[in-house]
Order: sequence, then structure tokens, then C-alpha cells
Amino acid sequence: MGSNAGEFQRVSERGWRNGLANLLRKENRTWWGSRRWLTQSLLWLVVVNGLVALALFALPLAVEMDPNQNVEDVDFVAIGFQVLFQIGAIGMAVGVIILAQGLVIGERQSGVTEWILAKPVSRAAYILSKLIAHGIGVLVILVGLQSGVAYGLLSLASGDLLPLPSFIAGVAGLALHTLFYLTLTLMMGVFAESRDKLLGVALGTLLGGLVLSSIVGRLALVTPWLLPTLLPMLALGEPLPLPISWSMIATAAWCVVFVVAALWKFERVEF
Amino acid sequence: MAGRIYARKTVVMQPFDGVAIQTEGLGKSFGHVQALKSLDLAVPRNSIFGFLGPNGAGKTTTMKLLLGLIHPGSGGGTIWGQDIVRDSIAIRSRVGYLPQQPRFIDGMTGRETLDFTARFFFAGPEGRIEARIEEMLELVGLSDKADRPVKGFSGGERQRLGLALAQINDPDLLILDEPAAALDPIGRQDVLAVMERLREHATIFYSTHILDDVQQVSDTVAILNRGELVAQGPVEQLLNGSDKVVYQVVMEGDTGSARARVAGQPWVAGIDETQRDGATAWQVSVTDEQAAKAQLLRLVLSDGQIVVTEFSRKTYELEEVFMNIVKEEAHG
Repeated sequence: MGSNAGEFQRVSERGWRNGLANLLRKENRTWWGSRRWLTQSLLWLVVVNGLVALALFALPLAVEMDPNQNVEDVDFVAIGFQVLFQIGAIGMAVGVIILAQGLVIGERQSGVTEWILAKPVSRAAYILSKLIAHGIGVLVILVGLQSGVAYGLLSLASGDLLPLPSFIAGVAGLALHTLFYLTLTLMMGVFAESRDKLLGVALGTLLGGLVLSSIVGRLALVTPWLLPTLLPMLALGEPLPLPISWSMIATAAWCVVFVVAALWKFERVEF
Repeated sequence: MAGRIYARKTVVMQPFDGVAIQTEGLGKSFGHVQALKSLDLAVPRNSIFGFLGPNGAGKTTTMKLLLGLIHPGSGGGTIWGQDIVRDSIAIRSRVGYLPQQPRFIDGMTGRETLDFTARFFFAGPEGRIEARIEEMLELVGLSDKADRPVKGFSGGERQRLGLALAQINDPDLLILDEPAAALDPIGRQDVLAVMERLREHATIFYSTHILDDVQQVSDTVAILNRGELVAQGPVEQLLNGSDKVVYQVVMEGDTGSARARVAGQPWVAGIDETQRDGATAWQVSVTDEQAAKAQLLRLVLSDGQIVVTEFSRKTYELEEVFMNIVKEEAHG
């Protein structure tokens, strides 16, 4: 180092952790150092809990006004669970794909990745910083906050606190489902050359899976495709028609596979 | 020192103290295009090393190989004896790099960008890091724009910020890809001044198309053409012509007999004669500079009919040398 370097305290990270702390600060800043946390919180509050609130408090009024239906026959809390764990799961998956689509590919195309990797930074740290920071952002704002508010709304509508263990199990499934699409999008950011291909694969997996899950039978258990159907039942503590643990374990395994594949490929990408 | 063995292809190198960058047989292909063919480069420590070549010659490819941004197809290299593939992160902790078109994170200000970059190298103390950032901003004349988002920076301002970022870690080696390309003449001079100042404790390896700048500050140059190294050496040596010495003589009068007399000398390799404004100009290539210095002018003046208006040892401009080398290569 040059003449003034002795006055500085050097960064002590070594190996794959080189640059990780600084990159994590940068990625965390995109969630917590700007208004993103607020706008995303409000957006998903409207999208997810707005719909849950409609199902719990507005739908009964509409049913009451229909002379052909008896309000006592409809389980509005169960509909609220479906809105959160089925529609919410699919909505959050679409949201996470859109939020994460530019994380790797955007920086690669703009030349920022090349600039960062010319510093003492390991390629693994680059990918992991995005996974960790955006994983936390998505799990806290999209999954955690919305599930927490929904739990309050559902408990309010049911007149008592809902059983927490089954609800937490449902939220864990929702988190895994969301992480699946985050890791898939991150991996595609490394493999694909354009956003079109990335979005095609990620959204195709999500939407195509909804169709395929009814065609491929029990094979769908090794995918996340059945989770939106099974999670409301899991969260309600109802008996499940299929072993959801298979889907949960398989989804977690897919997340690991996507991260490993992204790390493997990114070591070989040239800038 | 022990030799090094590279993973891709066995290349044994003997790094030595006086060399900052050393490559041996370094090559890279992109598909069917061979961007770099077996490059053997030796960049002396504390030199300002100009890396020249036409567009597509392989200059940027070489720089990216040195920084680990792309992987060698053949051969290898060392920086301070450290392997450019295996020890890439350790090398990058001592290097400053300015890419050809600097790109930054648009949401950050100039100061935030410097802070972000500094923290890849330094964990503290805070006051010292902040002082270093101020120092760099001052150096490149961006103090008054430091808190503006880089998104709004002009090309020249981006280049200046890039130069500040390349120096933030007080590097032992600066790799600069066209550092003055987007700058106005004043900015160019500032860059050259910075390079001169850094020479004391750093090696500067830079590519450029501005040959005047190279002539002004570089002590060593390499010329790359179509992926091949075609010349490498001290600037003075290239400017003087590496293989022959040429004298220029401009005369008025009948030069016929003088020409025969000069051409008959054993140390004269050839005379290239041209006419201009009624005068005759010779370019006399000689094999013995001492003999030419002592006898050439005397031989010409021994003919009383001739008036010599100019007599000098020919010095080349770098642009001339560069063009000659590149053209020779093009004609095989």
C-alpha cells in the first residue's frame, strides 16, 4: 500500500466473505435506507390485507343483502385464510419476482457488477449479499408484516385469538413459497442474459405450475405448486389431503439448489 | 523466489523484484475470436506504463484478465509475484481500477460512492476514512458536487469520480483504461499531473489513444495490435528507433556528387531523398552513429556548391512510431 495506508484499519474479511459486510450494507440500504420499506409495506397492506379485510368485513354485508344466501352458512374466516395463504402466496410470488428481477441482471447490464468485482470482493459475497438482504426485506415486509396484520384481522373476525402454532406453520410455508421465487429469480439473473428470459422462466414457473400441479398428480409434491392450495388448510389446522411436509422440504431443497447453482455459475461469468 | 504453476496451462514464472506485472503466454478467446494471443508483458515497478493499440487490439481484455474479471484461456500472469487467478482478491486489495466507461450506483451521491468503495478496503477509523474521501474529492475537483447523485454527473465528472475511486485505497498499482478519454484539455492535464504525483509510490498501467500524453508522462510503453504485442520498451528507445539511427540533412544546390560520396561510406545503410521547396532533403540511415556524427556533415560540406540549411538526428514522434508499427503489422 501507499504512504498513507498505515493509518487505516484494514478490512479483515477473508475468502468467500471478502466484501460481504459492505455489500450487505449496500443491499440493506435499498430496503431500510430509503422509503422502500414504507411503500412496500403500504402496498402489500392494501393488496393482501385489504383483500383479507374485504373477505372478513365487507363480504358478510354483501351476503346479508342477498336473500338467497344465509350468512350463517358461510365461513368468512376460512375465506380470509384462503385470501392470505392462497391469493397472497401467488401475489407475493409475483411481487418478489418483480422486485428481484433487476438485482443481478440490472447491475450486470449497467456495468456496476464489473466495477464492484474489480474491488477485493468475492463473487460468492456478491450473490449472498443480495440473497440475505432481499430475503430479509421480503420476509419481513411481505410475509411477516402482512401475516401479522392478517392474524389480527382474522382473530378480530373470529372473536377470539386463533391457534398460533398452525397459523405459524402456514406462515412458514408462505415464507418458503416466497423464498423459492426469490432464489429462482436471483439464479435466473445469473444465468439469463436478458430480463425477458428471466421473467419468462420465473413467471412461467409460477403460473405454469398452477396449471401443471393438477396434471402431474403426486409429482407436484416435490414442487412448491401445491403450497397455495394446502397452506390455508395447514394454517386452519384442518386435515390435509396430501402430505404438505413433502412440498415444504422439496421447496426448501429447491431454494438451496438455486442458490448453489447461482454461486457456481457466477464464478464462471465474465465481465 | 520459487516459480509458479498455473492451473489452466503449466506456466512457470520467475517473478523478480523490479517487476509489478508479468504475464507469460497470456491468451484469451471469445468464441472464435482470439482477443489476446500469448502476451508476454513485463511492467516495471513504479513506472508509468502506457499500453497502446488500435481499437480491438486487446488492451481492455488484458486489463480485465489482470483483475480477474475474465479468465485466461491460456498462459498466466502475476502481479507482485501473486497469481492473477488464484490470488485475485489479494491483488485487487492493492489495485485501483478505472474502467473505460465508469459506471456507478445511480442512487448514490459522489461522496456515498467514495464511502462505499473505501469500505471494501478500510474498516476505520471513521475520521480517517472521511478525511480520505475529502482528499480525493479535492484532488479531482468534485468537492462542490460531492453531494449530488452520480446519476446527474456529466461524462467528464464521471471520469473524475472514477479516478478518485481508483485511488481511494492508496493503491500500489493503478490500472486505468483510457483515463483521459472523456476529459477536456484541462482535465487531461490534471490526470497527467495526478499520474506524475503517484509515480513515487505506485505503478501506473494505463491504456490510451492520446499519444501526446504517453510521450509526456510514460517511461515505458507496449504496443498491442490484433491481440499481439508488437513492441515494448522505454519510450526513449521507441522514439529513437530501436534498430537504426537516421540523420536528416536539408541542402540547396547540386547534391549528386555529395550523395555518391556519402553513399560510399561503409557506415551508411541508405539514403532516402525527397525534394521540397527547391531544397533536397535526405534521410540518411546509419549503422555507426559515432562515425556519422563525426563525418557526415563534413562529407556533405566538402562539396563547396552545397549550402546545408538543416542537419539533425531524426527524432520520431510516438504517433509516427505507433503508426509505422501498426502499418508494418497490417502488411505482414
